[in-house]
Amino acid sequence: MDLRAGDSWGMLACLCTVLWQVPAVPALNRTGDPGPGPSIQKTYDLTRYLEHQLRSLAGTYLNYLGPPFNEPDFNPPRLGVETLPKATVNLEVWRSLNDKLRLTQNYEAYSHLLCYLRGLNRQAATAELRRSLAHFCTSLQGLLGSIAGVMAALGYPLPQPLPGTEPTWAPGPAHSDFLQKMDDFWLLKELQTWLWRSAKDFNRLKKKMQPPATAVTLHLEARGF
Amino acid sequence: MLDISLCLKRPSWLVDSKRMRMTSDFQWLLLTVLLLYLTNRVNSQEKRTLPDLKCVTNNLQVWNCSWRVPSGTGRGAAYEVCIENRSHSCYQLEKDIKIPPLLPGDYEITVNPLYGFGSSKSKFILNEKNVSLIPETPEILNLSADFSTSTLHLKWNDKGSVFPHYSNVIWEIKVLHKKNMEIVKLVTYSTTLNGKDTVHHWNWTSDMPLECAIHYVGIRCYIDDPQFSGRKEWSNWSLLKNISWPPDSQTEVFPQDRVVLAGSDITVCCVTQERVLSAQIGSTHCPLIHLDGENVAIKIRNISASASSGTNVVFSVEDNIFGTVVFAGYPPDIPQKLNCETYDLKEIICTWNPGRPTSLEGPRSTSYTLFESFSGKYNRFSGNKVSTNESYQLFFQILSNQEIYNFTLNAQNLLGQTESTLLINVTEKVHPRIPTSVKVKDINSTAVTLSWHLPGNFTKIKLLCQIKINKTNSEHELRSVTMRGVESSNYLTTVDKLNPYTIYTFRIRCSTDPFWKWSKWSKEKQYLTKEAIPSKGPDTWREWSSDGRNLIIYWKPLPINEANGKILSYKVSYSSDEETQSLSIPDPQHKAELQLDKNDYIISVVAKNSAGLSPPSEIASMEIPNDDLKIEQAVGMGNRILLTWNYNPNMTCDYVIKWCNSSQSEPCLMDWKRVPSNSTETVIESDQFRPGVRYNFSVYGCRNQGYQLLRSIIGYVEELAPAVAPNFTVEDTSADSILVKWEEIPVEELRGFLRGYLFYFEKGERDTSKIMGLESGRFDIKVKNITDISQKTLRIADLQGKTSYHLVLRAYTGAGMGPERSMFVVTKENSVGLIIAILIPVAVAVIIGVVTSILCYRKREWIKETFYPDIPNPENCKALQFQKSVCEGNGALKTLEMNPCTPNNVEVLETRSVAPKIEDTEIISPVAERPEDSSDAEPGNHVVVSYCPPVIEEELASSGAEEGGGASQVIYIDVQSMYQPQAKPEEELDSDPVGGAGYKPQMHLPITSTVDDLDADDDLDKTAGYRPQANVNTWNLVSPDSPRSTDSNSEIVSFGSPCSINSRQFLIPPKEEDSPKSSGGGWSFTNFFQSKPND
Repeated sequence: MDLRAGDSWGMLACLCTVLWQVPAVPALNRTGDPGPGPSIQKTYDLTRYLEHQLRSLAGTYLNYLGPPFNEPDFNPPRLGVETLPKATVNLEVWRSLNDKLRLTQNYEAYSHLLCYLRGLNRQAATAELRRSLAHFCTSLQGLLGSIAGVMAALGYPLPQPLPGTEPTWAPGPAHSDFLQKMDDFWLLKELQTWLWRSAKDFNRLKKKMQPPATAVTLHLEARGF
Repeated sequence: MLDISLCLKRPSWLVDSKRMRMTSDFQWLLLTVLLLYLTNRVNSQEKRTLPDLKCVTNNLQVWNCSWRVPSGTGRGAAYEVCIENRSHSCYQLEKDIKIPPLLPGDYEITVNPLYGFGSSKSKFILNEKNVSLIPETPEILNLSADFSTSTLHLKWNDKGSVFPHYSNVIWEIKVLHKKNMEIVKLVTYSTTLNGKDTVHHWNWTSDMPLECAIHYVGIRCYIDDPQFSGRKEWSNWSLLKNISWPPDSQTEVFPQDRVVLAGSDITVCCVTQERVLSAQIGSTHCPLIHLDGENVAIKIRNISASASSGTNVVFSVEDNIFGTVVFAGYPPDIPQKLNCETYDLKEIICTWNPGRPTSLEGPRSTSYTLFESFSGKYNRFSGNKVSTNESYQLFFQILSNQEIYNFTLNAQNLLGQTESTLLINVTEKVHPRIPTSVKVKDINSTAVTLSWHLPGNFTKIKLLCQIKINKTNSEHELRSVTMRGVESSNYLTTVDKLNPYTIYTFRIRCSTDPFWKWSKWSKEKQYLTKEAIPSKGPDTWREWSSDGRNLIIYWKPLPINEANGKILSYKVSYSSDEETQSLSIPDPQHKAELQLDKNDYIISVVAKNSAGLSPPSEIASMEIPNDDLKIEQAVGMGNRILLTWNYNPNMTCDYVIKWCNSSQSEPCLMDWKRVPSNSTETVIESDQFRPGVRYNFSVYGCRNQGYQLLRSIIGYVEELAPAVAPNFTVEDTSADSILVKWEEIPVEELRGFLRGYLFYFEKGERDTSKIMGLESGRFDIKVKNITDISQKTLRIADLQGKTSYHLVLRAYTGAGMGPERSMFVVTKENSVGLIIAILIPVAVAVIIGVVTSILCYRKREWIKETFYPDIPNPENCKALQFQKSVCEGNGALKTLEMNPCTPNNVEVLETRSVAPKIEDTEIISPVAERPEDSSDAEPGNHVVVSYCPPVIEEELASSGAEEGGGASQVIYIDVQSMYQPQAKPEEELDSDPVGGAGYKPQMHLPITSTVDDLDADDDLDKTAGYRPQANVNTWNLVSPDSPRSTDSNSEIVSFGSPCSINSRQFLIPPKEEDSPKSSGGGWSFTNFFQSKPND
């Protein structure tokens, strides 16, 4: 991919020309591949839905953990949960990420989070909580599949899980109930942050993937120059 | 004698270090004292006891005695000690002696210094009572801790082997914590010494987790030997041993994940290097208890049961939090309602109710173990995954050779365990499952085979099953069946006594013998039994058609329980002596019309279904006439009616009662009913019966040859009031009677048997009168009740002529009155009465007239005198003529001016006795004047009459010409207006013979004003006013210019004779003085046309 600037301009122009002609070909217009746009939109929608779903689940779960976990100003330091993928990232760093990296990070994060969440489900004491968690896990699995779909549509390979780094849920005897509750708390918190981040990521990707007609025209004119 | 017991009274519990120091001081002291003693001894040569001899023993085997060495005695002095009472044993030693224990009693002990110091031989008395038993200081073998349970384990050796015999030992153990060694526990612990070294254990669980602070443990003992009579003392405390949490830089909270009993107290601590800011349990903040270093603890008292995830305890440091979870709950309740039964004798299912919740969930929840004691087998159940709604149950496999099971259900959690037991014979606790695969198979039209599947191993027991049989529109029937259990679990039974061609619904449930519980009812299985031949022939009747040519055969469809199947057709056969014919009628049709001649026929009807033909129903065509037949009436009740007839022995077969609606045409048949021949009555009941409808009932008797009509009855099941009023008309009207005629009400609208009519009448106009509330018994209403229903006319007599009458007619039945119909009729005028009424008054009037005329004629003179006396004619008065001439020459302009006119005084001498001459008051009286200053006039009999000067006719004419439009006005000149028109003396004198009819004086007016004062005059007029004369009518007839009018020109109200302003003549014609009436009228007209003759 060491194309020079001139080459890329040419390719872009070619691509733009093709895109320009696409609406004029009725058959293609009707049956052609709509591209990753709809699936990005769907992923974005699913992210927003999961955000909503998590809000209700977190309320139930934090109440189950009991005070002070369900207190609104409870904000313990993030210690001992290094294995959880961290969603917060420097803005500059985030900006510098490309689409592939973004999607890969999303995919990896949700893979891990899903695994932890399933462990959480196994631990839950009440049947109602288990049901809620199972429902959320299913939705999160859907989001994972959706991200995989977007990646496939964009031609990115799925990240391979490295052997040994596969997160496993092992509530060892050293893990006290309190630390476990802290982990659960952070798991929910990270999930929420990740869903915010993903919504932002997919929104950005969605805007990027929409073929802006005016931009095409501009590019064509620029070529003339 | 120095008592050594004094020396032994030292407190036994002096601690080590102090004691050591004091011992060295005492040595010097003892030696000094001993030296002094020896000096004395040398001098005195007496037996003395050594001061401060002290004997102690650790183990009762050796007494260790010591005494104070006298002062001056050098070190290394040796003594010989001899004990007397014992086989004189002597010991050589330096300072203290170890002697074997002595038996109870006093012993003399002699101490001889071996080298130098003279002969200071000392003797002591020693007794066991003076010996102290101070056990050896115990030694802690091991102190360990179970941090998870906060338990200390202490291990030590009692060294019992050194004691010669059994004795009780009391151990005192102290637990101290924190670096400043606060005592947290001090306990005693008793053991016995048995001559062997024994290691003892003592466990103690701390309220505070052991990790929170360092803990020290020390021990001492006290040997309570009953055989030792000396003083027993506590040993010294052992060396303290401690337990502490291995120091670690990591902050930790203890205890972790502890399960505690709800309601208990618990201490939670935080072992940390950082400063703890706050601590909270759940959302409640707790006060901190500071321990060593930065460690803190909180104490939670009476902790409440936790929620499902436990109770969080959190310690906050500056930038972090640490915490633990405490699970407070309860030990399991005793399992309640433990019940074990089997569905299929393969597996026992035990269910129970866990009772009070433990508040412990997940891995801490109660686990249950079902243990069977005979087989020794058990099964476990963890409540971990049970949601609250699910029942607690455990399965247990049935063993092939075991029927009695003794179950123990053990419930256990971290806080305790309970159990519940149950002994059952499993064959008596069978609750079969729901029977499935219910199938029905035909045997015949009244029996079927029922089969079903009941899973279970019931081969050794009996089954009791119930079959619920439901027939449409009838109550269900239960049949029980007992059977042996079979291996295949498929069961079969026969159900008989069913009806053919009937839909049945079967359900089955089973139990076992002995009974425990029914299974649930199986699903319904519906089945239609096979058809059978109809059990009876149809019920038949026949009717001749109206023309008598055709015989119509009717039959009723067979009820379903007699049809026994679907009736396909009917076969109708009719046979006479000669021939037999038959025809087939398809099912929905239930009549057949046969063209028969008048021969006697026997008609038979047979119903047919797929199973075969019914027995025939036969009926004869012949109808036996009955001459003696009356039509009777009957009324029923509700929708039923009772009919009776006389017993007739001739009737050999059934009676038949047929009925139909009377309004229907012949042949009319609604239904019929057969009644056995021995009956004499029956109740006819039908849903078709309607109240108010007339039905014809015919009772037929049956003989061999045919049917005979015995009774014909018309009847109602219920009478109603007539629906309409009878139509009626007035046939004839006279002056005093009305003839009314009405029509019959049709049967359909009569709605009952007619009982009569009610006729009401009253006076009344159409618009004003209305017969309201006929039944309320108004007085003015006359009622006629016509009970003869054949009567159709009515004459109402005794009415008034030419009067409007309101007539109302209503019919009534047994149920009441029908509506009313009303009419207004006016009776004719009575002419004779009218004539008489006219003639009588006329005759009376004529007679009165004649009589009056005669009377008047006869008394005419008197009348004349009374009413019309002679009146003198004023024209004959010369004075008047005179005045006329005097006034000549006065102009018209002077009409009102009286002054220029020289008043004339007339003296009239009247003789009252002659006659009242002045009859016409209108002429004379108003002008009567009495001058105010009439000195010259005789007040007694002179009347001064002032009057208007007469106007000359010519002047009048010229005046009229001059003034043009000047209207001829009549003014009433009060010639004496300026004077008082008082009642004249003349009047007073004048005695009017007629009284009221004659002249009446005016009101006496008190005049004070002058003539100029016109206003005052006006007032006077108003106050005094004019008074009419006696013959007021006369005045009233006057025209608008009546004397009472006020002339605006003159402004002087005058009364008296009117006079024209132009003519100034008296308007009364002089000649008509006889009649006042005519005088008035004449005056008026004269006045009006006054100028005309002049013109």
